[in-house]
Amino acid sequence: MSDAQATPRAGLAEDHAADHADHKPSFLVRWLFSTNHKDIGTLYLIFAIAAGIVGGAMSGLIRMELADPGVTVLTAFTGGNLDAAYNFYNVLITYHGLIMIFFMVMPAMIGGFGNWFVPIMIGAPDMAFPRLNNISFWLYVASGFLLMLSLFAAGSTGQIGFAGGWVMYPPLSANTGSPGPAMDLVILSLHLAGASSILGAINFITTIFNMRAPGMTLHKMPLFAWSVLVTAFLLVLSLPVLAGAITMLLTDRNFGTAFFDAAGGGDPILYQHLFWFFGHPEVYILILPGFGIISHIVSTFSKKPVFGYLGMAYAMVAIGFVGFIVWAHHMYTVGLSVNMKAYFVAATMVIAVPTGIKIFSWIATMWGGSISFKTPMLWAIGFIFLFTVGGVTGVVLANAGIDHYLHDTYYVVAHFHYVLSLGAVFTIFAGWYYWFGKMFGWEYREWLGKLHFWVMFVGVNLIFFPQHFLGLQGMPRRYVDYPEAFALWNEVSTWGYYITIGGVVVFAYAMFDAFFVYRKKAAANPWGEGATTLEWTLSSPPPFHQFNELPRFDKGDAKAF
Amino acid sequence: MKKLIAGISALLILAAASAHAELTPGGIALQPANSAVAEDVHFFHNAVLMPIITFICVFVLALLIWVMVRYNRGSNPNPRKFSHNTLVEIVWTGVPILILLVIALPSFELLYKQDVTPDGKQEVFQADGRATEFVFANDFPERRMVDSRRHLEVLVASGAETRRLQYNADYTVEGFGEPEVRVSLNTAPSAGERVIVRGGRSSENASECGAFGRYFDLCEKEIVLAPTMTLKVNGYQWNWQYFYPDFGNFDFFSNMLAEDQTTEELYRLEVDNRVVVPVGETIRVIVTANDVIHAWAMPAFALKIDAVPGRINETWFKADREGVYYGQCSEICGVKHAFMPIAVEVVSRPEFEAWIDEQRALVGMDPMFTNDGVTLAQNDAAAPLAVE
Repeated sequence: MSDAQATPRAGLAEDHAADHADHKPSFLVRWLFSTNHKDIGTLYLIFAIAAGIVGGAMSGLIRMELADPGVTVLTAFTGGNLDAAYNFYNVLITYHGLIMIFFMVMPAMIGGFGNWFVPIMIGAPDMAFPRLNNISFWLYVASGFLLMLSLFAAGSTGQIGFAGGWVMYPPLSANTGSPGPAMDLVILSLHLAGASSILGAINFITTIFNMRAPGMTLHKMPLFAWSVLVTAFLLVLSLPVLAGAITMLLTDRNFGTAFFDAAGGGDPILYQHLFWFFGHPEVYILILPGFGIISHIVSTFSKKPVFGYLGMAYAMVAIGFVGFIVWAHHMYTVGLSVNMKAYFVAATMVIAVPTGIKIFSWIATMWGGSISFKTPMLWAIGFIFLFTVGGVTGVVLANAGIDHYLHDTYYVVAHFHYVLSLGAVFTIFAGWYYWFGKMFGWEYREWLGKLHFWVMFVGVNLIFFPQHFLGLQGMPRRYVDYPEAFALWNEVSTWGYYITIGGVVVFAYAMFDAFFVYRKKAAANPWGEGATTLEWTLSSPPPFHQFNELPRFDKGDAKAF
Repeated sequence: MKKLIAGISALLILAAASAHAELTPGGIALQPANSAVAEDVHFFHNAVLMPIITFICVFVLALLIWVMVRYNRGSNPNPRKFSHNTLVEIVWTGVPILILLVIALPSFELLYKQDVTPDGKQEVFQADGRATEFVFANDFPERRMVDSRRHLEVLVASGAETRRLQYNADYTVEGFGEPEVRVSLNTAPSAGERVIVRGGRSSENASECGAFGRYFDLCEKEIVLAPTMTLKVNGYQWNWQYFYPDFGNFDFFSNMLAEDQTTEELYRLEVDNRVVVPVGETIRVIVTANDVIHAWAMPAFALKIDAVPGRINETWFKADREGVYYGQCSEICGVKHAFMPIAVEVVSRPEFEAWIDEQRALVGMDPMFTNDGVTLAQNDAAAPLAVE
């Protein structure tokens, strides 16, 4: 223990001494009008879990339908009507994407872990704008409500729900393809989600810039706070572009403008440029907080400081910056000029360099350490390998020459699920198990957490690895039905889904067990000397208001994390 | 009329039992290539990218296993405390940059080869037994001019065979980069033979080209001629409409065949009216859409291009072998997105011409190529000669 940590520990003692620090308001006031960053974080996590269940169930229907050629499963929901079943399939893939991105990963990472741990890690009593924090959350709930409502509104002619894919390209999302109000509800839903995220991002940036503990310079700030800071900037810069694009779509649909309608002098490709100018930074928004989480976990369980701290921080800044200038690699087949494609090939491949720095730095953090394989560490190591696999297939797809073959095939589906479903989601589970005791005050049973990891690891790999094969064979994505030759790997992929569901059941039981059966009180710092950030200096769960006396980093040998 | 076309084509298709998908049931690799560009795509993926990404994954996995074995709590109870090492940080920044350069080199070459429609041209001269000098008009735009021997190919065709001449050994050239390129043959071809001079900067690798030669661009090149025809594709919800603007004002729709009209293997791939194109010729494809965005994809040619309403996209392919090749719509386009496949039938030039005349007859147009066995048109410039 260094002297630097002695100071925050002294603060902890005082927290306990002051009764009013743990005085909680009544249930309704506490949870509906909450301005407490930890409570809001918990609300976001509950929201993300609910969304994850809905989005996961949708992927279940998708995989069940695709288990065999022929449309046989979804017809059960449409009274045997085939066209309605095809439409329902497209609805499922659309909402699976929207829900998992906007309502599961983002609320879990930024709303959940970000709210919970950024203020604590930088030694702040709360977020800079607590009421803004509250409105951010409830806008998200309203947004989710609108999205669910759109599921039951008219979409394309004679069909229910918006079925144009999460990218919402016009004219399929314009009156030509989706005349019903479902798409309008989706647009309004994304407006609210965007407003919520922008407000949240402003809150994080203000908090991190102004409320760090005395002496905690940016270069001493924990990497998770760094990752959320970069993410917040990406949100503030990219979401307004999405908002603009979908507002233009809204006026195209309802007020006779023709931004994206070629017949009126507009251009459908303009929408794609605007969408991906948001959409590419968005994928880094989804993964960057996970990078931060992994750094802490790897360091904690290796009992070693993060290797190359500054390199790690600025690799994230570099990834965030380059993320804004590579958007058209999603559009190699739309008819871009060849020189433009060449530029986007080059720019896209550059991202591999800072990403490589992060992967190698995590391994170097473990190198020479004394690693204990607790549940969070298993998820972190699993993440490092699987993210590498998803990363290298990204390098393949970055090459326009290959993308002319692989674009919109299952290879792309496999690639982005490796970086999101096996990347971002693994970091969420890693963070969940890492901070579970801290957030809720109970321990989970270690073997259940490990079982969850192993079942899920096998399951998701079985889902997504064969999808590379399907893509190389040329199977297009968003297909409700496919030629006989694609049957084998689709079937294997669906088995993988069933195994993954088994993993989710283990997770649900592990949580039930932790809260109601095991009921073992979590220690303030269950991870030992490797856990050096400020949250481990507080009790588990932390007091309702922490740091009545700020921890100080401006005396003695203040250290970076 | 459309129904009639559909009916006749369906009969033709059922007769052509040889059609089979290039898909391998349970396959794990790229579909077989049927064009020089697709072969380059295979080379780039199978010989450049796959080894590199496999190595990276195995390397990272090996490092992870090593640290897990060597530095776990049991084998290394006392952690070390270092957090910097300038040398390794430089190495793991620099080496990935080098790897990316190794990838980028063939990547850009492939991209430009795919994306730029070939503009090569051939001139055919009748030999009289004496003449040895033949003048090739170098009338390309300035940046596409013939200015090195790699941009020129000289062939001599007799009735039975075509031979490729070797630079210097068989012929010399003067006037590279000038308006007129003079090709001097060392020996005069005999009367009745034809001298074919092909020139231009569009070229493809000969198919026997090895991996090393392909990577460093050392293989023998063949000039790719400019398109001999344009295929116009129009996407609809949920079928494709095809036009052959060079061969008359006719068009047809291509719909997926129902389950009982085709084999289990081809169901969801086979269509009532296939696209028919001649083998070995450059085909310009222009693509648009009528309602929403679709994408015209043909994996055997490594080709995929979006059909966007209000925009015309252009691409091209040049099929190496005859046969039927299948693709599927590759941009979500609504309810029946999965049920608007694409089938391209690659045939010989005579078969193609017969098919064109058949299509013209269906809409009451006079034949363009043959009438009662009399050849009406000789497409000399277009017909590629098989090189023995």
